[in-house]
Amino acid sequence: MTGPRLPERDTTQVDALIADRYLDALLAAADRRAGDAPSDAALDPAIRDAVRVLRAALVRVHPSFRFEDRLAARLAALAAAQAGDARAAAGGGVVPFPASLGGDADLDAILDGDLDPAADDDAGAGTDRRPLLVTGAITSAALSLAGVAWVAWRASRPAARRSAMGRAARTAHERRASAIAGLGGPA
Amino acid sequence: MLGRRDGAASSVVPLDRDRPLVEAARRDPAQFDALYRKYLAQVYAFALYELADHHAAEDATERTFLRALAALPRFREQARAEDGPDASTFRVWLFRIARNTIANERRARRRRPAASLEVALGAGLAIADGSDLETEAVTRDEASAALRTLQSLPDDRRRALLLRFVDEMTTAEIAGVLGRSEGAVRVLIHRALRDVARRLDTTR
Repeated sequence: MTGPRLPERDTTQVDALIADRYLDALLAAADRRAGDAPSDAALDPAIRDAVRVLRAALVRVHPSFRFEDRLAARLAALAAAQAGDARAAAGGGVVPFPASLGGDADLDAILDGDLDPAADDDAGAGTDRRPLLVTGAITSAALSLAGVAWVAWRASRPAARRSAMGRAARTAHERRASAIAGLGGPA
Repeated sequence: MLGRRDGAASSVVPLDRDRPLVEAARRDPAQFDALYRKYLAQVYAFALYELADHHAAEDATERTFLRALAALPRFREQARAEDGPDASTFRVWLFRIARNTIANERRARRRRPAASLEVALGAGLAIADGSDLETEAVTRDEASAALRTLQSLPDDRRRALLLRFVDEMTTAEIAGVLGRSEGAVRVLIHRALRDVARRLDTTR
């Protein structure tokens, strides 16, 4: 006799919870520098093996010290500018923002209070604020360029004079001009 | 958010382990340096594994910290008592900035051919960690297969796995970074592990 079976979704969540607890135990063992790996009979051996390989493959990395110092200097300059702004707001003199920190539109928007850097902006194409703006800019530029090209192409094409709309416009213009001339107006 | 009070003693216990550093940086932006030094390697590692390019990782790291410093006055601590004494909502907030910055960079680089993580991490891939006997048996082929699988995972699975293994975040922290529930993060990681396990099985 077999017991009631869990739906597949519940089974996945239980397996995920077992794997999560195993990872927690591994991290805790690493924190106390214990060489023994935690054992969990319920854990799928294939998952345990994947964890073992990933822990070895995903090595810790550190940037170069040159980069670390360079970025520290940029942050210090930005911090000084922020402190200067705070003093200026409190009644001190005006401190110009260093030009070398410019060039990042997002950073400028953050400094202006228009953008929250931690806000989700890649949750999906439909809700992606920045790509939508970028896409809009590209589309506008493309339409403008296409418009200029189209006008230039039309102006250089004699065939354009044979279009129905063109003929109607020219006929109307010519009739108006001749009527004005008949009334003694400017020719 | 206020810290909890312990019995008769009226001392406030910080819930966020980075609260003293954050408060110091708010008083004097120059003090942000301590937070920068503390989290530089973690942010850089996340960027390097995500972008597989040393220079792009440096750029993303730089943008992340500049944005974090600029926006620090607007950071709101959200630590809860149940998150434990090691919780850092500042770290979660910082990594949300990093995640968005890196995602933008990945979108911009989408047309370029994907670089190899192995190359990005250096020719001499460190496979064994002397402090962990279990990892000594991992071969270079296994490590390569794991890295290739990692690069082919869907975005959220890959990010969850990296935050768990490289940055050693808790499930709750990863949930905060990715904007998902803890249960969803556990399933993301489990599915990623199954993908890696399948790849390893075919490699052998």
